[in-house]
Amino acid sequence: MPGLASKRRIPVSQPGMADPHQLFDDTSSTQSRGYGAQRAPGGLGYPAASATPQAAFLADPVSNMAMAYGSSLAAQGKELVDKNIDRFIPVTKLKYYFAVDTMYVGRKLGLLFFPYLHQDWEVQYQQDTPVAPRFDVNAPDLYIPAMAFITYVLVAGLALGTQDRFSPDLLGLQASSALAWLTLEVVAILLSLYLVTVNTDLTTIDLVAFLGYKYVGMIGGVLMGLLFGKIGYYLVLGWCCVAIFVFMIRTLRLKILAEAAAEGVPVRGARNQLRMYLTMAVAAAQPLLMYWLTFHLVR
Amino acid sequence: MLAAMKNRKSILELGIHFDHIRQKTWTVLNPMKPADGSIINETDLTGPILFCIALEATLLLAGKVQFGYVYGMSAIGCLVIHALLNLMSSSGVSYGCVASVLGYCLLPMVILSGCAMFFSLQGTFGTVSSLVIIGWCSLSASKIFIAALHMEGQQLLVAYPCALLYGLFALLTIF
Repeated sequence: MPGLASKRRIPVSQPGMADPHQLFDDTSSTQSRGYGAQRAPGGLGYPAASATPQAAFLADPVSNMAMAYGSSLAAQGKELVDKNIDRFIPVTKLKYYFAVDTMYVGRKLGLLFFPYLHQDWEVQYQQDTPVAPRFDVNAPDLYIPAMAFITYVLVAGLALGTQDRFSPDLLGLQASSALAWLTLEVVAILLSLYLVTVNTDLTTIDLVAFLGYKYVGMIGGVLMGLLFGKIGYYLVLGWCCVAIFVFMIRTLRLKILAEAAAEGVPVRGARNQLRMYLTMAVAAAQPLLMYWLTFHLVR
Repeated sequence: MLAAMKNRKSILELGIHFDHIRQKTWTVLNPMKPADGSIINETDLTGPILFCIALEATLLLAGKVQFGYVYGMSAIGCLVIHALLNLMSSSGVSYGCVASVLGYCLLPMVILSGCAMFFSLQGTFGTVSSLVIIGWCSLSASKIFIAALHMEGQQLLVAYPCALLYGLFALLTIF
């Protein structure tokens, strides 16, 4: 911490030197009580204090310049990150997917394990934009897939640990292979949607959300496998596979198939047949991947 | 006498307010009491660093030399929770604030690893007590985050990733 080090030095006052305040942009007194968000240089481990008692150690011009340079560099860096992060990660769009609350998560998890009794799978709209997940259990969210993915990696580590095969790089390997399979799935589905020329409002993030729901079933299977052995694993995994198959069919049907077919009226035509096959293929890929990514964890 | 007063003044200049640290520590130690959002907004890393050092000291006394893992896990965990909270709340939160709150709520974990010095935690009692401590840590952390960021109906959702992070720390303590 540079502040502490220079405090131990004897401050040398130099006659004829300008007021140290002019070299140091003092933002601490106005913002030390406010949100940490604005204090870019003061964020990590550099507690804010008012400038007057610092006059003694700021009398040294080198430390003055260093502080001014450092704080301007940090501020510039933060600006750069803030400006560019919106280019790579659409933060405002992502915020929609995280607008969840505990009731929604509970109901959605129930739906993922038991989708058979749910009747209405349409997402409600409010003036052309879909309603936030908080208000409609059918809306896709990213909280559950993200947490499920992280939990899956940790549970995989636990499972490997009980088999005495644990090492931190194996955990990283697990995580990156699961991520790679997810990316492959998303790309394959987007490609096939493009080839079949389907006009849907299924965005990439929606697709990632739907494909991430299978991790919940995988976690359940592996945990049961850890507690009750192979029988428990196969039973729970089988149940979750069927459940996720039904869930995906019912959800994707509304997005991919034409409106008439979605209501249950069988529509002839090669196009709708193709879309039906696509939906079934996507839904069938889920149980396969669920088995593929977990069977080596349960012995 | 003058030297003592000067020392006290220099500590205050650093921005270390002992009564705030004490207040925050009591908020953590008493999970049922509602948190006061205003004191949380200060980015104060003194308490957390103290608790981290205490955790490492107790781990060392119990015979486990794993400092690198503690730092690495805490950094990554803080980053993930920072990203999640920024996405979930309507107002943003800075990294320092997240690190500060998570560090304060590490205090019960220090108690757990203190117990690990005296008896092994690998039995049933160890598992139960570590689950209780993880629950305690994550409930305190989520309570403070909810109060500071005005999030509604999301306490369990914030508590879950904190529980995962503290679970990792507990694994480090037990094994």
